[in-house]
This record gives sequence, structure tokens and C-alpha cells, in this order.
Amino acid sequence: MKQVLAALLLAAVSLRPAATALAISVHGFLEGAAGARLTDSPTRPKDATLGEGRLQVELSRDGPADNRLFFKADLIADGVEERGDADLREFYLDVSPVRVLDVRAGRQILTWGTGDLIFINDLFPKDFVSFFIGRSLEYLKVGSDAVKFSLYPGPFSLDLVAVPHFTQSEIPEGERLSFFNPFANRIAAPGERLPMREPAATPENTELALRVYRNFGSYEGALYGFRGFFKEPVGMDTAGGTLFHPRLSVYGASVQGPLSGGVASLEFGYYDSREDRPGTNPLVENSSLKYLLGYERELWTDFTVRAQYSLERILEYGAYEASLPPGAPERKEYRHLLFLRLTRFLRYQTVELSWISFYSPSDEDGLVTPQVSCKITDRWSVALGANVFFGKKDFTPFGSLDTEDNLYLRLRASY
Amino acid sequence: MTKKRSFWLMPGVSLFLLMSGFALPVAAAASAGAEEIMRRSAMVQFYSGNDMKAKVTMRLLSGEGGERIRELILSRRNVKAGGDQKYFILFLRPADVRDMTFLVRKYPLKDSDRWLYIPSIHLVKRIAADDKRSSFVGSDFSYEDVSGRAVEEDVHTLLREETLEGKEVFVVKSVPKDEKSVDFGYKVSWIDKGNFVLRKEEYYDRRGSLLKVFTAEEVRHIQGFPTTVQRTMRNVQTGHRTEVRYEEVKYDIGLADRLFSERSLRNPPGALAR
Repeated sequence: MKQVLAALLLAAVSLRPAATALAISVHGFLEGAAGARLTDSPTRPKDATLGEGRLQVELSRDGPADNRLFFKADLIADGVEERGDADLREFYLDVSPVRVLDVRAGRQILTWGTGDLIFINDLFPKDFVSFFIGRSLEYLKVGSDAVKFSLYPGPFSLDLVAVPHFTQSEIPEGERLSFFNPFANRIAAPGERLPMREPAATPENTELALRVYRNFGSYEGALYGFRGFFKEPVGMDTAGGTLFHPRLSVYGASVQGPLSGGVASLEFGYYDSREDRPGTNPLVENSSLKYLLGYERELWTDFTVRAQYSLERILEYGAYEASLPPGAPERKEYRHLLFLRLTRFLRYQTVELSWISFYSPSDEDGLVTPQVSCKITDRWSVALGANVFFGKKDFTPFGSLDTEDNLYLRLRASY
Repeated sequence: MTKKRSFWLMPGVSLFLLMSGFALPVAAAASAGAEEIMRRSAMVQFYSGNDMKAKVTMRLLSGEGGERIRELILSRRNVKAGGDQKYFILFLRPADVRDMTFLVRKYPLKDSDRWLYIPSIHLVKRIAADDKRSSFVGSDFSYEDVSGRAVEEDVHTLLREETLEGKEVFVVKSVPKDEKSVDFGYKVSWIDKGNFVLRKEEYYDRRGSLLKVFTAEEVRHIQGFPTTVQRTMRNVQTGHRTEVRYEEVKYDIGLADRLFSERSLRNPPGALAR
């Protein structure tokens, strides 16, 4: 399958003039990326965190009545994992059978909610490894094999997504970045892997995600619903020695609108962990409440600041505490997370200086990502940045990556 | 034709008569106050027709000879003549912004609502950028230069009447009432007496030095509306300039209000895209 995809990609690029004649638009880029550890990692023998060449091919064809066929795939030569790969990023068909309905079927990237790199009601799969090693932002999102129905009856709009085939989020699991092994209660040793069991692709396991939204003047309101599985393996099966993705329902809402020269947003979600509602099972994530407050403003010309505050409260915390085996790492009832993004454009927006930072006062951990990117010409661009993790404890999200600080460089030619 | 339809056409027709100089004697126009001149000029520049669509090519030229190209399809719909407007922009070039879309709901006296759709991650992002200062796609034009600045935000004075490249013009000085809200100190506009087209505009910084110069190189009558199809904004302090060409300009296409929505951002319909 991967070989077929690879051959198809190369054919598409070489036959580009012919494709134009068939009204197929062909675009993409060629990118080289390298990244290396800034600190010695006792658990990772390789210095390289990123070393790859990537050819992206995007084909699209517009049909009658705003129908569209879209295809995007990457051909990758990966020096870190020492292998070639082909990755089908997106492949979908858009149809609009009636005026108030759009349908998108196939592999597609889905994004909603008001957060910037912090997600509450966006329960679509993500690739945090790509983000943490310095790939470009588009690789943070992973496609879902899904059907999306978008309905526009007038006073409000509605998106309903059905995902028959579960896709998990990519999390650090030892290949490039270290991870905390909850079975061993420590950072995993080299070569150690966590066996994972994904939900079976059965009709009753089909995930459903819903968003209903509308504008109230300059303000936007949305309601969200989700029924499916956690995207991260936050369940442990000690008998089988595997991690799994427990059943999850989420109910949420968001508002967004102008506030004193900037844009403010508020998002809320209730996570109903259906396999551990009483919270007495320490091996399955508890239910929780999540809040996110965001504010963004251009402080002066070409300088924008975004600040976010996220609060997560573990429900049935008493039951969780009581059920915890002795010696197991204990999470706090409230997790506070602060986020700051500074963006400065220079030289007619051809140079971008960016600073992204996360800091959790409750977990005492965080991440700082400074980046300089430059559009050399309309075709060539380059980005240089770093990811610096810090934390006092091995089991917190950023603390487990404390020894994984890295520096990266990307050079891209678009066509 | 129904009564309702002819009602909607009326502003367009009367505006056309006004701008052609047919209905209004030049002498009467000359006596109009500076603010009235600027208001009429803004109507011609930014409100012609009930709606409008054009293919816009911007050449961003650095002092050192570097060239960058921005190509986009711009659609506009007036919610109310002289009042609220909606803009939709689809980027065609360069490759890294291709298929990006941009939606603006513009209100003359308060901040616009703006959304940007980033296709690579299928994200609709509410934008907080400042209309009055931010450069439009890295060009010498600010957002306000593209979509208009409310006449009420400045104090206007008629400096003189003169001839510019064979055209009789009003020369109007405009000083922002809130000087902190913008990056210029004042501006001087040369406005064609015959059709109220802006022929030239000079922006001065707060120290009074010349900062940017706008020039209209080519004005065409399209469906009766005088349309600046070739314009340049030159930053005299940096040597950077932006040349803009409007092509395939069409007015009164009948763009529906519902097209200016999140649905179109995510999936631009043919009416806005082709």
C-alpha cells in the first residue's frame, strides 16, 4: 500500500503539466528538516530527534456544483528511524447534495474550538511528537477516517462527524522522545515500548462528534458533544500489560468575541470517563472538568500577544486518592496551565519571531519554544527553533520530557 | 422587475449619476465641505455597486530589487451603502498561502470582525490584528487602505484646488482625531473634482516627514463605476513599494449575504472563488 502511494506521488509530480491539462491542481513542497538533542538523554542513545526529507503532493479537482476531490500525501525519507515511509494525510470527497448540506467523506483533518495548542472540545487525533521535535505546525493534526455532515439551516450551523475507524493521538513513546512508564513507575529505558490496544473497529465503537454554532453580532457561541474514546491511552490493563483508550463522552461550550481591542474566548468541557464514573479505578482516567480562558491582542504594529489560562479539575478526586496504590505518582486535583504566545513580524512580514511557552504552577513543569522563521522568497522558507522542557517530576506531561530539549532547522521549497 | 428589486438598484444608479458628474454641476461640488468631498470619495473608492469581485495581483518590491507576488480574489458586499460591509478573500499565490481564505465584517466606527482559515490544519481562526496599523499580507497597504477608513475618524481641511496630471482636483488634509490609533501623523489627498476618484495620497509621520505615497495610475469605467485598476503605495522611507492590479472587476453580481460565512471560509463556493 505504501509503495503504491509512493509511486503515485512521484508520478503526480513528474506528470504535473499533464495534470494541469486535466484541470487537476498539483501543489506541495519539498522539505528538509534536522533536529538534535541539546542535553544528553540517559534513556535515548541517539542525538538526532529529527532528520528527514519530505515531499508533499497535493492534488485537487473541482467538479460541478462545488464538488471537490482532494488528496494530500507525504513521501518521507526518515534518517532517525532509518526508513522510507509514505503517509496519506488527507483524501476526501466534498459533495453538496442540497443547498443547506455539505458532506465530506474520507480521511480528513478536523479542527474546532477556541484554544491555541490547548484543546478541550477538539477530540480529533493529534501528533504531539511532531510538535515537540519541531516539525511544522500542520503535522500537529492527524487525519481522521470520517464522514462529516455540515448543515446550514439558517439561524445556526451544525457539524456532525462520524468516525467509524478510531485513530489515536501520537504521544511520546520512546522512538524519539522519552516517556513515563506507568507500569514501572519511572521514565522508560531504551528500547522499552508500551503495548497498546486500540478500540476494535466495530459499528458500536463509531465515534460521534457534534458542534452547533452561531453568531450573536460580533460574538460566536458554540455547543459541543462527543461520544467515543480518549485519544491518549489513559487506561491501564495490568492483567494484559497493555495501555488502552477508555470510553469517553464530552459535553462543552464556547464563546468568543471582541474585548477592548482584542479577541477573548472562553471554553468549557465536561469529560465523562464512562469506564470509571465513580473514580474508584486508579487504572482508568477519572472524569474531569476543563476550562480555558484566552485573550489575544495586537499590542503594536506586527506584534501580537496571546495569553491563555487552562484549569482542569479531576472529579471524584477523593475516590481516586483512596484507590491509588502506595508509591504510585499522585496527580493533583487541579491542574493550572498558563500559555503565552508572542509573535513579532519584521521586514514586511518576511521574518517572524515567535515565542510559545507553557507553564503549569501545579505540576511545576513547562515548555518554551522560541522560533525564527524567514520567507527568503515566495518559494523558499527556513525556520530555526528550539523546544526546551522543564519539570521537577518524571510523571508530569512536560516533566517526563525534561531531558529531551532539542534544536531544529527546516528548509522548505514550495511549488 | 419587482418593486423590491428596483429599490435595491436605486443607490447604485444615483451614485453613478453623481460620479459621472452628470447630475451635479462641478461648481456645486467645489463648494462642498472638505468632509463631504472625502465622504463622496470614500463612496467611490469603497462602496461602488451593491457588491463587487476582482482578481487582485500585488507586486511587493523591496528597495534592493526583491519581488514577491500576492494573488487573490477579492469579493465585497455592502450591507448598507456607506455603512457596514463584508469582505471575502481567497488567496491564490504564493504557494504557502494558497487556498487560505479571509472573512471581514467591517463596521465604519468600530473594530472589524475578522476570521482567517488556514487550510493545512483546517483551522478557522479569529484574528485580533489592528485594522489601522497592520500591513495587508506584508504589503505597503494597511487593511484600512484596502477596505477604507471612516471619514468621521479625521478632521478634514480643504487646502487648495489645483490641476494634477491634467485633472482638476481638490487637495484635502486629514488629521486623525485619535492620533494614537494610527501610525501616521496626517495625510493629504488629491481627489478628482469630476468623479471623486482618489488620484494621489501622501502620508506623513508624526514628525511631519513624508512616509508613504499612494498613486492611482489607471482608472477605468467598469459598468459605469470609475475603478482604480492600477495603483501603487510607495514607502519613501524604506524604498519598498507595492503595485496592485485589479482585473476581472465585476459589480452587482448578486452575491448572497450567506456566502460571507464560516461555511465559505472552509469551502469557498464558486461564486466567491472563480
